[in-house]
Amino acid sequence: MNTNLFGLALLLVIGLAYPFVLPGYLTVGITMLLFIGWATSWDILGGWAGQVSLGHSFFVGLGAYFVALGQSRYGLAPWWSIMLAILAAAALAYVWGRITFGLRGPYFALSTIAFAEIFRLIAINEKWLTGGATGVFIASLPEPFGIDLFSRWTQYYLALAFALITVGIVALISTRRFGYQLRAVREDENSAMASGIDPTAVKLKAFMLSGALTAVGGGIYGIFLSFLEPHVLFYLLLSVQIALTAIIGGRGTVWGPAAGAVLLILSGEVFRTTFAQANLLIYGMLILAIVLFLPRGILGEVSRRLVRRRYARSAKS
Amino acid sequence: MADLIPFLQNIANGLLIGGVYALIGVGLTLIFGVMRTINFAHGEFVVLGMYAAIVFNQALGWDPYFSLVVALPVGFLAGVLIQRVILATIVDAPEESSLLATLGLSLIIANSLLLIFGGEPKSVLVPYASSTISLGGGVNLSIVLLLAGIATVVAIGGLHLLLNRTEIGRAIRGTAENRLGAELVGINTKRIHAVVFGIGMMLAVAAGVALIPLLFASPTTTGTVFTLKAFVVTVLGGLGNIGAAIGGGLLLGVVEVLGASYLTSEYRDAYGLVAFILVLLFRPEGLFGRSVQRV
Repeated sequence: MNTNLFGLALLLVIGLAYPFVLPGYLTVGITMLLFIGWATSWDILGGWAGQVSLGHSFFVGLGAYFVALGQSRYGLAPWWSIMLAILAAAALAYVWGRITFGLRGPYFALSTIAFAEIFRLIAINEKWLTGGATGVFIASLPEPFGIDLFSRWTQYYLALAFALITVGIVALISTRRFGYQLRAVREDENSAMASGIDPTAVKLKAFMLSGALTAVGGGIYGIFLSFLEPHVLFYLLLSVQIALTAIIGGRGTVWGPAAGAVLLILSGEVFRTTFAQANLLIYGMLILAIVLFLPRGILGEVSRRLVRRRYARSAKS
Repeated sequence: MADLIPFLQNIANGLLIGGVYALIGVGLTLIFGVMRTINFAHGEFVVLGMYAAIVFNQALGWDPYFSLVVALPVGFLAGVLIQRVILATIVDAPEESSLLATLGLSLIIANSLLLIFGGEPKSVLVPYASSTISLGGGVNLSIVLLLAGIATVVAIGGLHLLLNRTEIGRAIRGTAENRLGAELVGINTKRIHAVVFGIGMMLAVAAGVALIPLLFASPTTTGTVFTLKAFVVTVLGGLGNIGAAIGGGLLLGVVEVLGASYLTSEYRDAYGLVAFILVLLFRPEGLFGRSVQRV
């Protein structure tokens, strides 16, 4: 826990200093922080509970559209919209999980794609609900305490808060009863049941928490984009990107998804001119390398080595 | 009677399109049945076939069907190579690893195509694009669709002969049935895996070539569409079951065409996905028969 607290403090300090050091790269910082938050939220379900979802862009879209439509249609302030989005995301995750948690392994992953694609088609075709394929524009936002939500600086600090909260929640979970239940279910559902854990209930909780947190990030992303299109927000490749970020960084570790986000967004920036739109090429090559050589992900492998060394030392003394 | 002719027309078109879906699905299901690998790059293999036809058409003026002469062997070899270099090393890892590896492969293929050819959708214009053959009674078949259907029948017939009439086919079926047992009787299952992945990729490439006169290929989106369709087709029939994948393909083709003309075309892609989830949940062994293991 102490190392996690230290890590969070470090993230806070670096996060606060970043805009002053690199004020020209605020949008990169926002993207990176959003991906830290998304990948960490994804990992609650995908890493800790072991259920790989390739449909998380649905929750991003949900959060973003709640903010945009709440503002433009009902004059609802974004913070209320985000709270509604949290409730909606948790409720939908509950129903979705109830339906599909009977499926195991790759079949669950396939069903999440199908679900998210159906929602994407709904978002594109139901114009009365989402404005259809043309998209929605956030024209005005309230100014709480005189803070301009359209300013990149505000958005940056919102994204920083989002990243800190998600990593903080996962750090907390990792040492709590819930964290142990999650790991037990991931390793072996039957043994977990034998120890009195209800696997479906645990997985449902993980899915609801994961979806709700992702939707919060989606709301911030919506403000950041201020123009929402369904095929951007509900895009399968966004789901893939979120999942791969966490897996490359290290599934089921507190800091793995965050490390993955930093690595992938940074390399995306470095190769921006070389690859242009083809920046997912990096994701493809890295995930291939991870599967072949570091199946636990970058931080997962590092922490395994550290644990081994510690045991080796304690065995020697 | 007036309503019957468009209905028959739709059924005919649906069956022909469905034949191509079946071709894609058969490759996916063969790979799954033998290797237990869920191939996420299958749609990208289809797109590779499309681009092969486009390149040969633009550079040498070849008819898309003639480019099969080059595309099929190259597709087979590429599949063998991919299996040898990537998938063979993770054959004993959890099922998810091969899913992630092929997902990575699909991203690499799609984005490499994007880098090389740019993002604008491409197609091949054939002189017979709008020609049709009348079946009598007002039902017309488009030549392009008919050729695609013929290609499907030939490919699936060839696969059937290979699997049931040859020694390597027997080895493939044995490996699908029980990998360890197959090894015990002296089958080199590593070689079989490589051959099967090669065949799967070859079928996907063939489907891509057959489809290109009908639609536009774009490097990053077309592959995903066909990967999803392939999953729908195979799950409809039951993963790992070839006959069922053919049935699933034909069914998806007909459902899509009928759904688009009698319900609403906006949800054309959703019908398959809804059926997909329902089948996964309530009949995981597929609509046809019980066996999931067999090939």
